[in-house]
Amino acid sequence: MNLPEETEILVIIPAYNEEESLERVVSGVRASVPRADVVVINDGSHDSTPLIAERAGATVVSLPYNLGIGAAMQTGFMVALAGDYQVAVQVDGDGQHDPNEIGMLLERLLLGEADVVVGSRYLENRGYITPWPRMFGIRILARYVSMLAGQHFSDTTSGFRASNRRALESCAQNYPADYPEPESLLAFRKMGLRVSEVAVSMNKRYGGKSSITPFWSAYYMIKVILAVTILLLRRAPRRGESTYVH
Amino acid sequence: MFTDRLTLFVFVAAFGLLLLVLEMVRRRALAEKYSLLWLIMAGAILLLAVARPALDRIAPVLGVYYAPSALFVAGFVGLLVILLYLSTVITQLTRENRIAAQQIGILQARLEALEKSLEQAPYDK
Repeated sequence: MNLPEETEILVIIPAYNEEESLERVVSGVRASVPRADVVVINDGSHDSTPLIAERAGATVVSLPYNLGIGAAMQTGFMVALAGDYQVAVQVDGDGQHDPNEIGMLLERLLLGEADVVVGSRYLENRGYITPWPRMFGIRILARYVSMLAGQHFSDTTSGFRASNRRALESCAQNYPADYPEPESLLAFRKMGLRVSEVAVSMNKRYGGKSSITPFWSAYYMIKVILAVTILLLRRAPRRGESTYVH
Repeated sequence: MFTDRLTLFVFVAAFGLLLLVLEMVRRRALAEKYSLLWLIMAGAILLLAVARPALDRIAPVLGVYYAPSALFVAGFVGLLVILLYLSTVITQLTRENRIAAQQIGILQARLEALEKSLEQAPYDK
């Protein structure tokens, strides 16, 4: 990888009860991008997630109770913002993202043509099989978000991303809750941040269970469609303006 | 003053609610800020129950043919407003709560890192 030597990279791994997979994820990331700092956001886990993360060599930020993936990710961006990192990479704690592909995201990001690079499972067919009810939801969301954004996205639910300083600043200030990926894509577009997709492979989870059951899939889909629609009606936050400071 | 039993019942209930809310505020079980909507609602229903001529004139406008039923319509609308208001309060509390939790997590991590670096490099005595 031919990255400028001074680029400071923070890899953010949100983790909720991921003791089975986290060791492999953290050491995978450290082996693949040795120069990056790794922070695990322990989102109120009830298992040994924070211990395992620390032993694997990550900095651990433990939230006092479960806040949900959106708030956990935002916490990571807050760490990146405060630590003067130039690039933030987000990788799921369950091991479904291949740490060896972080380099691809970074290279694309550092071309400077995009502010956020998203690893897409569906840009190329790499044999990743999604259960059909979820595929159905993912397709509908992708269509809808693409339509609203005026840009084609093949994978709006991917949480495998790299953001430059401008994008991570905006994420630290304002990041959607619960199921943030599709919503954040549209928020990026609204703020004039450029998003591009890179094809990635996706592993099966190392351990634990997916938090997404059919009922919650349906709930999330409806919630995200509502959230995304309302986002359109909202005035775009100005740069540096935060929605959580009153 | 009370031409029917229903109006009397509503009057007593609204008066009771008014007293209960005031007492809860007095005991600090309810903040003044959140008692206001309850007091306004109870007061409005109380007034309508007492001022029967006014109620008789308002009810037909709403399409209510049995005037005392209009009291329930007023109560229902009042409750909806209060519930919606409480939902906004919950939303704000959730947001503030989230920010507090995030800051606690970050501060704790910084504190632990600081303590570790102090242990490794003890200052000269």
